Amino acid sequence: MKEENSNPADEKLGVLLRESRLSPSLPPRFQENVWRRIEDAQAPAKSSVTWLEALVALMLRPRFAYAALAALMLAGISLGAYSGAQSARHDAEARYIASVAPNPLR
Amino acid sequence: MNRPLVILLGVLTLGAAIFAGSYVAGRHACATVMSSTDDLSWLRTEFHLSDAEMARVRQLHEGYQPQCMKMCAKLAAKKVEVVDMLANGTNVTAGVQQKLTELGELRAQCQAQMLQHFIAVSQAMPPEQGRRYLAEMERLTLGFHEEIEQTMDMSAKP
Repeated sequence: MKEENSNPADEKLGVLLRESRLSPSLPPRFQENVWRRIEDAQAPAKSSVTWLEALVALMLRPRFAYAALAALMLAGISLGAYSGAQSARHDAEARYIASVAPNPLR
Repeated sequence: MNRPLVILLGVLTLGAAIFAGSYVAGRHACATVMSSTDDLSWLRTEFHLSDAEMARVRQLHEGYQPQCMKMCAKLAAKKVEVVDMLANGTNVTAGVQQKLTELGELRAQCQAQMLQHFIAVSQAMPPEQGRRYLAEMERLTLGFHEEIEQTMDMSAKP
């Protein structure tokens, strides 16, 4: 192998071959664009995972969980009681009207 | 699906179930507590009547009920007569017209009696509540006919 590499004719041939090979020119700001695309691809994935994990971690904290449970129950009971009161009032009104003005009179 | 997303969906589902359960329980409890078998319970709460006013209103109501039932029975009997006459023929005969007139008169008498009762009840209430009661009763009982007449007016216009 050494004998082949040390042949001056081969070396000249190699130089000539390297010089004859055309290297394509890169578009302007190629390297900068490649890095920007790599950063763009990495950035959103990283931030969404962080946001979701932070939210889940917050929800699983006992203090937050108890407060949310109490707020949901309070809101549900309040709205339900309001709706039940409206319904009971409507039923009572209908019962009174039916007792003083049966359908044939209306 | 990643783990935080599964946990988030689970928490949201649990929250919705807790809210829905609380809503149903609150509604049921309130409706049960506020429900009453008394026909006059609505008057007490809606028009803020005292015990004395309620006693007077109840007396008027109990006096009016037999009259109302009697008139309702007369109306039902007259309606049967009209239906029978219509079933026997294909034309609106003089007899059918007579029965319809009688039915209308009976209904008018009944409504007049009902309005008289409303006025008597309104006078047993504090003045402001009495006015509100009368307006509400007229709207709920006679307003129905006004709505029909208004729709007939609208459809009669070209």
